[in-house]
Amino acid sequence: MEMQEIFNTVQDIFRDNFDDDELVITRETSSDDIEDWDSLEQINLLTAMEKAFGLKFKLEDVRGLKNVGELLDLIARLKG
Amino acid sequence: MANVYLITGCTSDVGTALVRRILKQGDIVIAQGRGDLDKLAPLCAEFPGCIHTYDVDLSSAEQVDIFIKLIGEKHPLPTHIVHLPALPVVNAKFKNFDEARFMLDMNVQVMSIVKICKAFLPKMAKARCGRVLFIQTSYTIGCPPKNTAAYVMAKSCIGGLVKSLAVEYAQYGITVNCVAPCMMETHFLADTPDLIVQASAADNPMGRNARVEDVVPAMAFLLSEEARFITGVTLPITGGSAIE
Repeated sequence: MEMQEIFNTVQDIFRDNFDDDELVITRETSSDDIEDWDSLEQINLLTAMEKAFGLKFKLEDVRGLKNVGELLDLIARLKG
Repeated sequence: MANVYLITGCTSDVGTALVRRILKQGDIVIAQGRGDLDKLAPLCAEFPGCIHTYDVDLSSAEQVDIFIKLIGEKHPLPTHIVHLPALPVVNAKFKNFDEARFMLDMNVQVMSIVKICKAFLPKMAKARCGRVLFIQTSYTIGCPPKNTAAYVMAKSCIGGLVKSLAVEYAQYGITVNCVAPCMMETHFLADTPDLIVQASAADNPMGRNARVEDVVPAMAFLLSEEARFITGVTLPITGGSAIE
């Protein structure tokens, strides 16, 4: 799966989750940049991504994610 | 004295474990489920003639009325009422909740037991004894998680009903209580993403979610004769994840 394709899907999930159609994320975007991005929203984002990409995250893999870039890399790795 | 347990949502993991824990010789159970009475087959085999099963859609006022009528006609007056049913938790933002879903939660979790209590509590009051027990959720203690509005609303209503019934029926020796477990690992979580279940366990001070065997003994106690002076309480069973 192409990284750009993953990015586009992740961007859509962020926009839907945070109710902001104009939200633009980058690889450097982190929870410090989005006010409502707390631990529960993180789980909601991740479960939406599990559904969208047809994969399963392990808690230990996602607990240490620092930004969107690390999340994209994880999805790319899991999608092989 | 033999007890007559009316247990709604009896087909749940908690319901079947509770029956195994509390049933004594001579007792009977009026057990409600919906479309899953096969889950009671092992109990019926273990306690021949003691478990009376009813398939009732608690979201239907008409079916609840018929259920109440049948209980009145076929069984002795309940001595214990235990209300366990809940719909699987929908994890959705408030704006995305279908309004009908709120009503469905209310009908199954709240309005069904309002009808049942109205039918039997006045008679239990005349008998001057009885226990009523609900299962609530630790989500109603302190700050609930986001995106669970319908579930939390219905469970909060149960909390209000418990307190109201407790003060009204205390003079008759009837106790009304509820247990409030944190996330419990049962079939109820079948549709909950694993990540949510794992995160809940990791965040719990005891490092795990609640189990049926954590909750059922507390329920058995609140239903017992020994708990006669405890009423109107919500007992958190949370491993410390929610403290009142």
